[in-house]
Amino acid sequence: MAHDEEDPSVDAKVNRSVKRLLTSVLVVLLLLAGSAGWAYTGFPGAEYLGFYQLKPGQSAVILRLGAYSRTDSQSGLRWHLPIPFETHDIVNASEIMRLEFGIRSDTAEVPEGVLRESNMQTGDNSIVDLGFVMQYRISDPYESLYGVADVVPTLRDAAQAAVREVVGKMTVDGVITERRGEVELESERLLQEIVDSYEMGVEVMQVELQQVQPPEEVRAAFDDVVAAAQDANLAINQAKGYENEVIPRARAEAIELTESALAYRDAKIAESQGEAERFDALLVAYRAAPAVTRKRLYLETMEAVLPHVEKVIVEPGAASILPHLALGKASRGEP
Amino acid sequence: MKRILIIVVALLLLLTALVAAGNRGLGPVVITEEGTQQIILRLGHVIRETKPGWSLRVPILDDVKTYERRLLYLNTEPDVIQTKDQERIVVDNYAMWKIDDITAFISSFPKGMQQAEKQMDRVVRAGVREIIARHTLAEVLTDQRSEIMAAIRQRVAESFADTGIAIHDVRINRTELPPAIEKNVHARMKTDRDRLARKYRAEGEEQARKIRAAADRDAQVIVAKAKGQSQVSRGEGDAESTRIYAAAYGKDPEFYAFVRSLEAYRKSIGEGTTVILSPDSEFFQFFVGSGGANERR
Repeated sequence: MAHDEEDPSVDAKVNRSVKRLLTSVLVVLLLLAGSAGWAYTGFPGAEYLGFYQLKPGQSAVILRLGAYSRTDSQSGLRWHLPIPFETHDIVNASEIMRLEFGIRSDTAEVPEGVLRESNMQTGDNSIVDLGFVMQYRISDPYESLYGVADVVPTLRDAAQAAVREVVGKMTVDGVITERRGEVELESERLLQEIVDSYEMGVEVMQVELQQVQPPEEVRAAFDDVVAAAQDANLAINQAKGYENEVIPRARAEAIELTESALAYRDAKIAESQGEAERFDALLVAYRAAPAVTRKRLYLETMEAVLPHVEKVIVEPGAASILPHLALGKASRGEP
Repeated sequence: MKRILIIVVALLLLLTALVAAGNRGLGPVVITEEGTQQIILRLGHVIRETKPGWSLRVPILDDVKTYERRLLYLNTEPDVIQTKDQERIVVDNYAMWKIDDITAFISSFPKGMQQAEKQMDRVVRAGVREIIARHTLAEVLTDQRSEIMAAIRQRVAESFADTGIAIHDVRINRTELPPAIEKNVHARMKTDRDRLARKYRAEGEEQARKIRAAADRDAQVIVAKAKGQSQVSRGEGDAESTRIYAAAYGKDPEFYAFVRSLEAYRKSIGEGTTVILSPDSEFFQFFVGSGGANERR
């Protein structure tokens, strides 16, 4: 009996449970669909709930009720208390930024006023045309936001002040040539010092000089100095060429002289040795038969000499005819 | 249980609404953002200055004014300024300043920031003019630049004492010479360069001539030494040959004289020579008289 009574109430209970279950499932499904739709449309309004996203290198400065709370540098999806209790500002701390002075790399033609920016006075009361690039990045996100009101104009003017102060201590030659690197390093140091004193959270990465040249009005004169140095080198090189030509020639002549002298010496000695040997041989023959040899030599000589000469044979004591002989043109006029 | 939850949620919503209103400068909550400073005035009288964070006020009755707390940048107009040595120079400055004492600032500059900036521009320019007039052009451009800037900074800071403004820095960011002076500088630079170019060329020639002269000298010395050496060699040859002759001919000087004479006859008596011979001569020994008459002479 009791079973009969209980049966309908159990049914109702089951009915109710099933209904409840169906409702829950429906609610979950609706929530899922809603979330999917929200996600699909890119989570509109999520930032009001305190969600924010950081890319690598970015930092978020978080304020709680207006006052600085913390700096968050963890990349990914991040969360703070919902707005308005906490707010954030995102800073690109790793991005290297660039300011140009006296040049504009992004435009072909030079705009008015840029030229004057590159006009600087040097320590020797001269003028140099100098353009430079400054690179910086944010070293302190909090200071970069709340240190200085106008970051870029401040950096521009500070960089110019620094570079001009450094250039003002150098000569125009130094700036243009060998002390360029020094200008860069010194400007960098001075600019960092100035920027640090402003507490603006900026790190000066580099000050790099771009065009550094004399003003256009005197450029030809500067070029002529370079040409003069080259001319001087050319003259010196030519002289060295002359030297390289003259010295070997002199050495060659010297060798010729000494060699010919040696040749003379050796020839002379050889010749005299030959003659001495001939004489020795002759002497040996002569000593074997002195009278005959003597006669033979004498007659041979006469035989060789006399055929070619005019011969006058005069008796001894007939010296009186001598004046009648034409003894050569020089004596003709004499009595 | 449910009631508590509802109360908590309602309170949270109220708090959110109050803070959100405070961010917009409404309601009893005052939110002072980082980088700013605020002053709370009740019916025109200063009650309190705020620092970043939150505070409370009486709505409607209390007024809130917001000012910068950051360092402020001001670029003044470039000015033509006369130096001590009567040169003219264009100077461009900038100043870094901040509102130090908001109460004093409000009483000094009731019209606000623009008034302050206008006055600062004026004071900075006057200060620059005054300080630069005490220095020569060369000092401004080069060696005393930082001292001059420090003096200007001090001069400007003094003018703004007790005005709620703190002068952090005044700096010359740009100087420029007027066109006429610039022309003079160009002319001087040009003559400097011309002189240098002439010097380089002359020095080059000097060096070149030096090298040529040295080369000529070396060459002459080399040849002369060789000539000397060759004379020595020739002398050696002559001496040796003389020694050899003497050694050989010394063995029989008389025979040598005879042979050498014959040789000399061969060489010196040639065509065109007239020889007067005596029949008595050795050559005619057998020509006129009977042979052998003089043979044993």
